[in-house]
Amino acid sequence: MTIRRYISVLFLLSIVSLNGFGQAPEIHGYVRNYTGALMGQNGDFSIVQNTLDLDIEKSTFDMAFKANPYIYQYAHKDELDYGLREAYIDLYTDKMDIRLGKQQIIWGKADGVFITDVVSPKDMREFLLPDFDEIRQGITAAKIDYFSGNNTFELVWAPVFVPTHYPEKESIWFPGSYPENYRIDESQKDIKAGLENSELFFKYSRLSSTIDIEIMAGHMWDDDPAMHITRYIDQQSLNVDSIVATPKHHRLSLFGGSFSTQLEGVVLRSEAAYYMGKKFATLNPADMDGITEKDYAHYLVGADFIVGGANVSLQFIQETIMDYEDPLAQDEYSNTMTFLVNDDYLNDKLTLELFAYIGLDNEDALIRPKATYELHNGLNLIAGANLFTGTKGHFGQYNENDMAYFKLRYDF
Amino acid sequence: MLRKRLKFKNFLVLLFVIPILGNAQDLTGKKIIEKVYNRDEGDDRRGKLTMTLINARNDQRIREIKQFDKDFGKEEKKIMFFISPADVRNTSFMNWSYDDPAKDDDQWIYLPALGKVKRISSDSKDDYFMGSDFTYDDLGDRHPDEDTHKLMKTETINGEECYVVESLPKESGYMYSKTVTWVIKDKWIGLQKKFYDEDGDYLKTLNVKDYKDFDGILVITHSEMHNVQKDHKTVMKYKDIKLNTGIDSGYFTERIMTRGL
Repeated sequence: MTIRRYISVLFLLSIVSLNGFGQAPEIHGYVRNYTGALMGQNGDFSIVQNTLDLDIEKSTFDMAFKANPYIYQYAHKDELDYGLREAYIDLYTDKMDIRLGKQQIIWGKADGVFITDVVSPKDMREFLLPDFDEIRQGITAAKIDYFSGNNTFELVWAPVFVPTHYPEKESIWFPGSYPENYRIDESQKDIKAGLENSELFFKYSRLSSTIDIEIMAGHMWDDDPAMHITRYIDQQSLNVDSIVATPKHHRLSLFGGSFSTQLEGVVLRSEAAYYMGKKFATLNPADMDGITEKDYAHYLVGADFIVGGANVSLQFIQETIMDYEDPLAQDEYSNTMTFLVNDDYLNDKLTLELFAYIGLDNEDALIRPKATYELHNGLNLIAGANLFTGTKGHFGQYNENDMAYFKLRYDF
Repeated sequence: MLRKRLKFKNFLVLLFVIPILGNAQDLTGKKIIEKVYNRDEGDDRRGKLTMTLINARNDQRIREIKQFDKDFGKEEKKIMFFISPADVRNTSFMNWSYDDPAKDDDQWIYLPALGKVKRISSDSKDDYFMGSDFTYDDLGDRHPDEDTHKLMKTETINGEECYVVESLPKESGYMYSKTVTWVIKDKWIGLQKKFYDEDGDYLKTLNVKDYKDFDGILVITHSEMHNVQKDHKTVMKYKDIKLNTGIDSGYFTERIMTRGL
């Protein structure tokens, strides 16, 4: 019944667009099979997923419409996972574009790292492995872009807060494990939609022959909840009897910026954000609920260049907690590097790529080799692996999740 | 995957737009190549490009592009929108090139999956464009001073009387050790060009199959590059061509890259 209703909505959307724009919308998209097996656990399948992803679009001189429905079907689940990644209407004037509806908004110059790219929350149910347009969640927002030459002023108002989507406790991507006497109280997790709870973002950007820059600011909710801890003491033994963690999202303000420029064939990039009053977990008994508030900086420097015909990209990322004091659960500094190299062969029928996140503090890494072969126009076979090294840290915690996969994808 | 494919100087303009110049006297190889290089290209151009990539087994792959470009005095701006194959649809590419030879091109790419415009390195002259048999340098405006030119002979091919000019690069390590160009007399179109690799072996041939006159400006509408070493061909067709339509400067911006035309 739910599926039928969903298809009906799609049909109605198409009819609306037909009437509004006078002609049939364009329909594009892809169909994909994605099969992955864990390499260290008897080859158990970690994912067998079939995807239909559609772009229904129509544009005229002064307006446009887009809906991006998707359906995931999993071999191990009876229910379909489906939704609208985006569904919006654009209005164009001489100097201004207005976009209303569910949309993905992507900012910054970083690759594979989220620094000033904080408007659209992430879907982390499969960690950082899906394509980036699948990791980002759409948000319902009004976006106004004002243009003056190569300058763009962008204002985003999001009345409905959408948090990071985390994996279920049963998932292999669920981070960490809880002790037996640990309970989660989710009663304070939701943020009620309303004017006072809305988020506001601003960005100025300029693209020029010497340098591209972005300056941004935001008044938002932290996409990741702080875990407020309550410890219940056994009155007789005076030991901790149980722990209740109450996830809560908190208001967060930030500002930041980024630039990129080319020097002797090398593209240099940098991006930074300063968060004011971010909540961190602490073991300090003076902080009764296990939470303390600190300013926090997140920044990156990167370079892109070509060596022997191959594209190479390097990034160094650092996170810093300001006014640090022990014993915070997170280190004062967190250092990560990324490395990317890719090249094309056989008249671009074959593309080989290696991408890696390298954690410099815990000697852990995520290494992602990938080969893409174009079988036919729009039909690609992709084979690759996700290899986790180390025993702790952001990537080392998934050391048991090494996987090999292939994808067959047809774009139309 | 696309970013290394996207190096242009004066992309289709120099390949496809060739004005008619008057007769020249005391022609040397260098003067002939300069006449091909120094030509009126019109103020702006738009059109649709189709490339058919054909391998030795006659398997065909199609790439379609919509392109706009405009001269702004000392700089030229170009924007391209990829139509097919479907997996690169809505990708756009923008290039700003400059008369100042010391200044590198500025290039940006918009990949819908990434959702943002990204500056990319323009240092990729010897890469092949979108898997075709054309390198970015083949499609660009290689300055006559970068080679030494020698007029070898005159010869008639396809009924057109041509100057045959041999060009040797001054720079060591250039991807071609030699090129030989058949330039049509009085039209200054490179009707045929043979390329020799770094080892001096015959590599590929460019043949112009058709060209049309647009108010005195000749535009090549059909050409073919055949790499004999790989037995791979690229057929390039240019259609829906419009010249000097007064393209708005606002076309060459981040706004249009993300929104499309």
